[in-house]
Amino acid sequence: MSELIRKVMERSCSEFAEIPAVRWLEKKDIRERSYKELGENITLIRKGLLSEGFGGSRIAFVGGSSVWWVESYLGAVTGNMTAVPLDAGMPAEELAELINRSDCTGLFIDEAKKDLIPEFSAKCPALKKVWLLNGEAGNAETLAVLMDNGRAYDGDAGSSPDDTAMIIFTSGTTGKSKGAMLSQNNLAANLEAMSFASKPGVVLLNVLPIHHAFCLVMDWLRGFDKGAVICVNDNMMHLVRNMGIFRPHAMLMVPLMIETILKRIDAVKEPVSKPEAAQMIFGGRLRYIFTGGAHLDDYYLERFREFDIKILEGYGMSECSPVISANTPVAYKYGSVGKPLPNMEVKIAENGEILVRGSSVMKEYYNMPAETAAAIVDGWLHTGDKGYIDEDGYIFINGRIKNLIILSNGENVSPEEIENKLGVNDLIGEVVIVGENNGLTAVVYPDPDAVKAGSLDEEGIRNGIQAFLDEYNKTQPTYRHIVGLRLRETPFEKTASRKIKRDRV
Amino acid sequence: METKFKEILAQYTTLSADEITESTRFRDDMALSSLDFMTLLGEVEDEFDIEFEESDAVGIFTVGDALALIGRKTGNE
Repeated sequence: MSELIRKVMERSCSEFAEIPAVRWLEKKDIRERSYKELGENITLIRKGLLSEGFGGSRIAFVGGSSVWWVESYLGAVTGNMTAVPLDAGMPAEELAELINRSDCTGLFIDEAKKDLIPEFSAKCPALKKVWLLNGEAGNAETLAVLMDNGRAYDGDAGSSPDDTAMIIFTSGTTGKSKGAMLSQNNLAANLEAMSFASKPGVVLLNVLPIHHAFCLVMDWLRGFDKGAVICVNDNMMHLVRNMGIFRPHAMLMVPLMIETILKRIDAVKEPVSKPEAAQMIFGGRLRYIFTGGAHLDDYYLERFREFDIKILEGYGMSECSPVISANTPVAYKYGSVGKPLPNMEVKIAENGEILVRGSSVMKEYYNMPAETAAAIVDGWLHTGDKGYIDEDGYIFINGRIKNLIILSNGENVSPEEIENKLGVNDLIGEVVIVGENNGLTAVVYPDPDAVKAGSLDEEGIRNGIQAFLDEYNKTQPTYRHIVGLRLRETPFEKTASRKIKRDRV
Repeated sequence: METKFKEILAQYTTLSADEITESTRFRDDMALSSLDFMTLLGEVEDEFDIEFEESDAVGIFTVGDALALIGRKTGNE
């Protein structure tokens, strides 16, 4: 068994040397990188980082999926560094906070985000260096220079199986995100356990955000492990176009994508049949869609069977590197999230909560001992999800214990985190965020004093709050947009300790 | 331009062309998901042979906002 990501990559880059590892678009041209070239670039970036004194450091990544992002990430984790992938869509202030909280001393950043470099330099005192993933900027080193430094360097330190390979931030129920520390062995064990067969050269289209554990481990690391050709979807706007260009055999998607594509298939008019429309849209070769992150209704599984595409649902969380269970092409049951992976034990607590232990469960939350102690009790990780295991060993999920909103795009949203930000508006007396119609809705009790002071009627209140929400939305990644507003005439019902009773909203 | 845009839009909503005005909101009134909206922009790019930046989508809430954006990109303001 490979216990290190470096061993996985060295084997793949040697065994699949001549196969394309990554394909992407530049304007309308398809570019590609072979496994051999990928391996060479990873080595040069790793040595470059070591030559510049970053051995043993934590390094942040801010950018969308790209060959440069993944090469730099692997440069870090095949050495003795810890990668901290961040959501490039987050406001700069929140990114700076996470860079500080994870004690990162280096940062790789996409050219599209280079305007944020001065802000990070000012707000992140521990940050020693910024590398630009593509393009050039006066205040950051280019990848070409980093790789040149690597070429001239003799050392090549690696890591041990228990070393932390990456820290993934997940939404916390207290409004503060937590950094799940995943070791080299946590990641390698998850790859090893997803053992079902896949031929080298199989084409995958990467459409999920690369800072997510599901995407990073299951699309990229597992894809490389199996010798897949991983194609980059440059923008969600171009999802349909790019499926036609790259013609994938398999894709990882969150339920929202599956729901959206089915709407596009259904919008194609006669005389084109639905299966023909699906062939056109998917590029004609798609056979498997792996999904997770949120529940997908059985309806979609049935509909995609009409197109000869099998949707295989799985279950996981960042804290488990990330897959806990999965349906496979040969062992699946509709409605379930599959059987636990061979390296994971799953049991159901008395209150119905799913508990997990095994070699993919994280080490701890970074610098959060109390949260770690609450999450891992007697060696079992408390998932916060409720479910049951049927007589054949398949897991079914049927509820949640922790207060997180799971959207169908797989994003977990902490309502308190958003409520705290909206609460600063004078017109908002009390607010609760709920998940409705695939998005977030703010339920607001307007502040009576502010309403009186402004002599506002209901329309005035609504317009005032909507204008504030529109401004708030402009600063947030799309999945955190508030897309609905409901006003209420009375304050929320509270517990004895003055907390809002969320189940009564 | 407006007619063509509304034709594309008709495939994304149950609202009729008459019900769609410049103040119609994509999320609240048409119930488009964030991904429906991005896919719509991709289709508009192909139809009008224009290119949007990721940042262009920020601040586009209504049909009027989208028409103004397309106008800017096609030079037909």
